[in-house]
Amino acid sequence: MKNRVKNFSEEHALWLKKRSFRLAAVQAVRIGILLVLLLFWELSTRLGWADPFLVSSPSRIFSTIGSLYREGTLFYHIGVTLAETLIGFAAAVALGYAIALLLWWSDLLRRVAEPYIVVLNALPKIALGPLIIIWCGTGSKAIVFMTILVGIIVVIMHMLSAFMQTDENKLLLLRSMGANKRQILTKLVIPSTRAAFISMLKVAVGMSWIGSIMGEYIVSRAGLGYLIVYGGQVFKLDLVMTATVLLCLLAAAMYFLVVLLEKILVKNTKN
Amino acid sequence: MKENILTFENVKLIYHTVRGETVATEGLSFTVEEGEFVAIIGPSGCGKSTLLSLAAGLLSPSEGKVVRRGSVGYMLQRDELFAWRTVERNILLPLEIGKKLTPAMREEARALAEKYGLKDFLGSYPTELSGGMRQRAALIRTLAAAPDILLLDEPFSALDYQTRLNVTKDVANIIRRENKTALLITHDISEAISLADRVIVLTGRPARVAHVHTLDFGENDPLKRRENKQFSVWFELLWKELNA
Repeated sequence: MKNRVKNFSEEHALWLKKRSFRLAAVQAVRIGILLVLLLFWELSTRLGWADPFLVSSPSRIFSTIGSLYREGTLFYHIGVTLAETLIGFAAAVALGYAIALLLWWSDLLRRVAEPYIVVLNALPKIALGPLIIIWCGTGSKAIVFMTILVGIIVVIMHMLSAFMQTDENKLLLLRSMGANKRQILTKLVIPSTRAAFISMLKVAVGMSWIGSIMGEYIVSRAGLGYLIVYGGQVFKLDLVMTATVLLCLLAAAMYFLVVLLEKILVKNTKN
Repeated sequence: MKENILTFENVKLIYHTVRGETVATEGLSFTVEEGEFVAIIGPSGCGKSTLLSLAAGLLSPSEGKVVRRGSVGYMLQRDELFAWRTVERNILLPLEIGKKLTPAMREEARALAEKYGLKDFLGSYPTELSGGMRQRAALIRTLAAAPDILLLDEPFSALDYQTRLNVTKDVANIIRRENKTALLITHDISEAISLADRVIVLTGRPARVAHVHTLDFGENDPLKRRENKQFSVWFELLWKELNA
């Protein structure tokens, strides 16, 4: 890549221009679609095509956010859900990664654990709801526990399969240098799976939101999931929609943080 | 009298799978002397890479003995440089693994890299290097830990023809200049002839030594050897022996 020409030909300048135009066009259409949808949503309720009581509307969501803010509960609910999700996410990733390492380390352990992991992965975690309430009570602890439960199996499976796919020839090379298992782990297995680590984080972000909101559905007195359940029960669909929109924004923000991390971490992992 | 760096004595190796067992090699005996460049050729599927694993001590023979004096440096078909490490940190890898990363050894490795034209690439990542340069970096990595014998597992077979001739010459020159002992395993007859002092021809499975030839070119440059009249004579002979 070092022999790139500094002063471009006219054709190249044109090509670059076209390319950036195309990128801008895609961006514009993306935003355009969102605006058109919002506009249609707003208009359809204003013009009486749809009942705002059932489908809410952008302006009503906006004013609901405003009133939540004035009541002082907006950031409280966001904070509760965000904290539960982030703690659950971090714990699921850390624990899952550690367990995956352990299973990579020990062949015996991996073979013994395999059927258990498969079954736990297939089990719908919400079935454990009543048990979780009894074990952890009805507070945030139960929700964090649910979040970990939903995320951890995916983290384990994702990382373990990445660890197991470590290049045979590179393993051979390290062994011929006399490397022990710990060195193979730190010099090869962990650094070569950085890309898999990031893609695992992306999946885990989604999983932890599922876990925390599911947890709040079962037990909670605060949080965005609580607002959704409560709004549904008292038929305040504005509240349901508002909480859903806030969730979308938070999940997107978290995802982009992971993408940012990817840019920093995964520069040179491909051969 | 030169010492033997590597001795195979009546080596037998059995491979076990669920379906049964395969005798990869039986009654295999040969030696590699200090400073010698030995090439082993054999029909495909005769377990050539298994031989290198035995030589490196990664596998133990089922019967017989493998005696090695000193340490090994392994070079594989692909350079296997770690993409997330700079060239310099790749070259220092065997020292790191062997816990020999002293300032003196580090300096020696750097000097070796500079001597063989990698100076400007030390801070680069492997993806920024050409195929030939990468293989050269892989060789310097192998040499950095000052191994007593180099084990070369078809180290050129992944390169395109032109690069391959150049890299072969390059690697041969470096190995000769550093006075290294080398054991090359290949299925490429002309590569064996252009590089080795001695060629060992193996039989099919179970592999044992069929013939041993000392090459008397009086010339170690692989390209010049290829131009030599003797080259095609050797080629014909080895070709016949391989297909016997």
